[in-house]
Amino acid sequence: MHVLIINGSPRVKQYSNTDKILEKFTEGLCENNTTYEQYEISDKNQWEDIRKAYYSNSNILIALPLYVECIPGLLMEFLETLSPKNDGTKIAYILQSGFAEGIQLRCGEAYLEKLTGFLGCEYAGTLVKGDNFSIRFFEGDMRDRVTGPYTEMGREYAANGGFNTDKCRAFTGYEILPAHMRLALGILQRTLARTMFARIARSWGCTKPLDYRPYQ
Amino acid sequence: MILIVNTTSDTSVTKEIKERAAGLGLEPEVIEAAGMKISHCIGCNYCWLKTPGVCSVKDDYEIILKKVIHADQLWVISDTALGFLDHKGKNIFDRILPIATMYLKFVKDQMRHVPRYEQRTDIGIICRGEPDMDYLQRWSERAALNFESRSLGVFGTERIKEAVSCMC
Ligand SMILES: Cc1cc2nc3c(=O)[nH]c(=O)nc-3n(C[C@H](O)[C@H](O)[C@H](O)COP(=O)(O)O)c2cc1C
Repeated sequence: MHVLIINGSPRVKQYSNTDKILEKFTEGLCENNTTYEQYEISDKNQWEDIRKAYYSNSNILIALPLYVECIPGLLMEFLETLSPKNDGTKIAYILQSGFAEGIQLRCGEAYLEKLTGFLGCEYAGTLVKGDNFSIRFFEGDMRDRVTGPYTEMGREYAANGGFNTDKCRAFTGYEILPAHMRLALGILQRTLARTMFARIARSWGCTKPLDYRPYQ
Repeated sequence: MILIVNTTSDTSVTKEIKERAAGLGLEPEVIEAAGMKISHCIGCNYCWLKTPGVCSVKDDYEIILKKVIHADQLWVISDTALGFLDHKGKNIFDRILPIATMYLKFVKDQMRHVPRYEQRTDIGIICRGEPDMDYLQRWSERAALNFESRSLGVFGTERIKEAVSCMC
């Protein structure tokens, strides 16, 4: 099988969490002779090539970050230029997000199934997973801990041509975090996490408090 | 204050809104955004971690952002694409990130960003074309949760009278 992979993130490849996820995912994908080509929506110079690849491939995987509960505006701008295929092409999706709970991604997931219909393609399922915000801030082992599990999902996709399996559905993890975790995380967010964010901000050259109000 | 952002080039919609609103003694602030330069969000995170509250993309969106933080209601008029808001409509929502902070908290059982300002802005959508209305309603309610506000609903252009009746 050959797969067209489209990274639907508006963030440049170097900093894109989706890209780091795809790095691990494709390791698993390629183990049994599956091949792929990958493009980035963030690079408008690639759009013409992506369009050509969309029309000539029958297995498409769109990997994207959740942007305000649905697909990013830039990805929408690209998709608006496509015509429906109506030739049995399958589209599967990796939908990843910042917030950790599965419930946060369901509205976006529901759209992806509808979108597939508008493109005249067959829906091959969505791999749904949150808690990816920090990938760009991590390196080495810390990053691998977040992205590593996607390798197994690459194998699953290669074996099934999509994500409609129990294993892929279970990959989402908690739909809603249990009360004790919410309590602990709530405390962490008011304390340690703020210190960590402030540290990142300083290293980015930030000179204002993070809750600064520039327009008042 | 009621803020209306028209991302379509059809000004007959805003004309009708203004007329109907005037009949109710309301004077919404209307921004015709079709001719404005408004890019997509590039996901740089600067508005959270480098220049808190300020978007790094320097274009006309700043005009909207400065008004949103004083608005009780934000109405976005959008064209439809692939059953959803087209990219121009969606970009208005994606670019709103600076009104949230990097900080996180739980609201009921789900995680949210801590808002940057006191103002809460309810959101309403007026759509041209034929969107998947049920889906848009669902999306609009989710999107509003993120701004700690309410969805005022999604209306086709044939229901402008109803939309205006929700303005206050
Ligand atoms: C404009 C914008 C909107 C976002 N909206 C959501 C959201 O609604 N829910 C969520 O959990 N994460 C949201 N995120 C977080 C991203 O989905 C997350 O950081 C993702 O890992 C980014 O992937 P990328 O680096 O490939 O773009 C948003 C990020 C941006 C920049």
